[in-house]
Amino acid sequence: MNPADLPRALTTEAPLAGDTLLAAVRAVAQGPLTQVVQAIDREGHYPLAVLKQLAGLGAMSAHLDGPAGPGDYGLAIRAMAEASRVCGATGFMMWCQAVCGLYMQQSGNPALMGQALQQHMAGQGIGGTALSNPMKSYAQIESLLLKATPVDGGYLVNGTLPWVSNLASDHYCGAIAAVVDDASAAREVMFLLRCDAPGVELRECPSFSAMEGTGTYALRLKDYFVGADNLIADPAKPTIARIRAAFVMLQCGMAVGITQGAIDSMWAVEAQLGHVNQFLEDRPDTLQAELDALTTRVMALATTPFDASTEFFIDVLDARAHGAELCLRATQSALMHQGARGYLMSSDVQRRVREAHFVAIVTPAIKHLRKEIARLSAEEMPA
Amino acid sequence: MNTAPATPTPNATLTAVAAAAAMLGGPPFKQFICNACGYIYDEAEGDPDSGLAAGTRFEDIPDDWACPLCGVTKTDFSAYAAPSIDALRASGSSAVVVASRGGSAGVVIVGGGRAGWQMAEALRAQDAALPITLVSACAADVYDKPLLSIAVARRLDPAGLVKESGAQAAARLGVRLLPQTHAVRICADTRTLRTTRGNLQYDQLVLAHGAQAALPPALSPTSVWRVNHLGAYQKLRAALGNGEASGPKDVLIGSELANDLALAGHRITLLDTQGEPLARWQSDHAGSQLLGAWKDLPIRFIGGVQVACVERNVDRIEGRDEVRFCVTTTDGQTFVVDQVVAATGLATPSRLAQSAGLDWNQGIAVQADTLRTSNARIHALGDCITVQGQASRYIEPIARQVKTIVADICGGEPVPYEVRPAVVRVKTTSLPLTLH
Repeated sequence: MNPADLPRALTTEAPLAGDTLLAAVRAVAQGPLTQVVQAIDREGHYPLAVLKQLAGLGAMSAHLDGPAGPGDYGLAIRAMAEASRVCGATGFMMWCQAVCGLYMQQSGNPALMGQALQQHMAGQGIGGTALSNPMKSYAQIESLLLKATPVDGGYLVNGTLPWVSNLASDHYCGAIAAVVDDASAAREVMFLLRCDAPGVELRECPSFSAMEGTGTYALRLKDYFVGADNLIADPAKPTIARIRAAFVMLQCGMAVGITQGAIDSMWAVEAQLGHVNQFLEDRPDTLQAELDALTTRVMALATTPFDASTEFFIDVLDARAHGAELCLRATQSALMHQGARGYLMSSDVQRRVREAHFVAIVTPAIKHLRKEIARLSAEEMPA
Repeated sequence: MNTAPATPTPNATLTAVAAAAAMLGGPPFKQFICNACGYIYDEAEGDPDSGLAAGTRFEDIPDDWACPLCGVTKTDFSAYAAPSIDALRASGSSAVVVASRGGSAGVVIVGGGRAGWQMAEALRAQDAALPITLVSACAADVYDKPLLSIAVARRLDPAGLVKESGAQAAARLGVRLLPQTHAVRICADTRTLRTTRGNLQYDQLVLAHGAQAALPPALSPTSVWRVNHLGAYQKLRAALGNGEASGPKDVLIGSELANDLALAGHRITLLDTQGEPLARWQSDHAGSQLLGAWKDLPIRFIGGVQVACVERNVDRIEGRDEVRFCVTTTDGQTFVVDQVVAATGLATPSRLAQSAGLDWNQGIAVQADTLRTSNARIHALGDCITVQGQASRYIEPIARQVKTIVADICGGEPVPYEVRPAVVRVKTTSLPLTLH
C-alpha cells in the first residue's frame, strides 16, 4: 500500500503498543485522581485506592519483564507522566512502587520473585524505596545511616532514615545497610524491609511543602532481623551498579508530567490572557518544543535501561537534571501566565510549583546530579 | 509523549442534568468567566456552596451573588467559551518571542587549553563588548604544552610551568571563566550548553576541548599515565620524585617524554609496536638517528611488541607499601617498573558533537574555509577537529584557525583556513629533529 493513500493521522502517528494502558491511566488520572488531588495536597490524604487502581492496570510494572514479554521502560515513564500531569505526588508514589518492583525482580531471590512480586505488580502489595541515603553514599555525598550486624541466619539492622515514602504499616521498601564486621573491605547488604515486622517504627514527619499525601515517614530500626527470604543483594554494590540508570531514568516521568501539566495550564488562559502573556519568557510553544525534545531523548535512553557504560549513565543523569530544570521553569512560568488565579491555594498551578521544587530536590537532586556527572567525567589517572 | 491538553472530566451527575435539560428542549448550558480571577461559572454545575443549584441559568443568579473565589459580583462576569487549544496554537499567538534574559548570549568557548584561550584573546581583540564565556574541565591555567616534553632539560619546575592562572587570564580578557566545569551536552535547538555548573545560552559556540589519550583495552586508566595536559604531567612528576635526589625510578613509556625523563635520571623502557622509534618517518632514518643519540642515556628501546596486560602489585617493603607495575607483552616479556606512561595516540571525545548531531569524521568534521561544523552556530578548532577526515594535532595551525573563526563570527574579510603539511619538531633534546 502506498503510505500516501492512508489517512494522514495514521501515517504520522503510528499507534503505540501501550496506548491502551496510557488511555486507562489517563482516565484514572482525570477521574478518581482529580477528585482527590486537593485532599492529597492539602490534607495529606494518602490515595491508596488510586494507587491500587493504577497498579492493577499495570502502570507501575510496565518496565518489568513478565509473561507478556520484556519490560518497557518508556511505557512505564509515560504512564507516570500521565498521572504526574494531574498530581505530582501520585507520580512520585508510582515511581516508588516501580523501583521497589525493580529491586524485587533483580534480587534473584525466589522468595521475592514469585508470588510476592506478582502481588506487588498487581498492587496487592505496596512498596517504597529507602535508597536516597545509599545513592548519596555511593556518589560520595553522605555516609550510610543503617548498620547491619551479621548474626546467625542473617543480619540485625539498626539506624534511622529521615524520610521514606509510599509507606504504611503493612507496606515494605527496599533498603541498604552497611555491614559491620571485621573484614577490611566495606560491604553493604540490600534487603526488603517489611514495615509490619518487629523492630520497625514509622514516625510521622514534619509537614512538607508538597508531598504531604505520599505516606512519608521516618523509619527507625531497632535490631530489625533480615533473613535470607528478604535479601535483595549481598553484597549490594553490583546490583546498585546494574540498576542505577533505570532507577534514575524512571524519575523522568514525574518531570515530564508536571511540565506538561504546567504547559496545559498556560494554554488554558491563552484566550483571555494571551494579550499580556505574550510579554513573558518561556511561552507554552517554546516549553512544549523543549519538553518534546527531552521526552524523545528519554524515550531513546529507555530502550537500553541496563547499559552499563559510564557515558550512558551520564546521559541519564543529564536528562534527569534537564527534566528537573525544565519542570522548575515551566511551573514558574505557568504561575506567571495564570497570574492571581494561579496563586489561589485551590489552584493546581501553584501546587505544581511546589511539586517541581520536589523534583529538583529529591534524590538525586540537581546539585547531586551535577556533582555525579563531574565525578564520572573526570579522567581517571593512577593514584 | 501525548501533548494533547487534559480535558476536564465531565461529572457524571452534572452530565445527566445537562442531558435532562437538553431533553426538555432548553437551550444548552453556558459558561461565564470571572473577569477578575478567571473562575468559570458553569450553568450545568451551578454553585451549590452559594446556594445555586446545578442548572441555574446565569441570568437567574441574584445580583448579590459573589464570585466564590474572589468575591466580585455577576456584573464582572462575561460569557466564556472553552478555548480550542489547537486553534490557539495554529493562530501562533504564543509564537512572539520575548528576548532571552540579559541581552546577547555571546560566544561560549569549550576548552581552557591553548586553542580556547587564543580564541578568547582574538575575539576580545576584535570586539571589546562581546560576552565571552570559557568553560574548562580543569583550572584553565595558561602554559606552553610543548614544554611538558622538555621541562627537565630546561630545568623547569613542574609547578612553574604556569604562565598565568586561568583566573588571571579571564580577568585580563574580560572573560567569564567556569573552571573545573564539565560540558555535558549541547541542545542545539535552544542554543544551550549544559554543564555541571548550570546551563549557558550561546549565540556562537566554539569547541576547543581537544582530544583525549586513547588507551588500548589492555591498559587500565588507573595503572597507566597519559600526559596530555599540565595537571596529569604535574601528578606524574610528583609520583616520580626527583630522580637525582630520591633515586631513579623505572619508567615504561612510549613517547618523546622518554628523552626528558631520562635526563632527570629515571631509567626508561620504551616499548613500541614498531621496530624503531618515530617509525612514521622511517624514510628520514629518524629512528636510527635517535637511538644513536640516546646511547648514553638510561633509555632502553624494545620494538615490535604489544602490551598484553598491566598488573598493579603492592609489595610490603620495610614496613611501607610500594606499588610496582608488571607489564607483560603478548610475546611473553615482562617488565617490572615504578610507573607506566602511555603515548598510544589521541581520540576526540564525541559526547558534545554527538549531542548536537554534528557531522563526525574521526573527529568533529569542519569546513576548511570557515571552520564551521555542520551547525552554522558551532565552530571548532585544535585537536578536536578534522578537515576531510584528517586531524592535525599540532600547535602551529591553532593561530591560523583562530583567525579564520574570528573572521567568520565577527564578520569582515573571510580568512579561509588552509591545511598545510605539518612540520614536526621532535623535541628530543639529545637530537632535535625536524621532520616533514
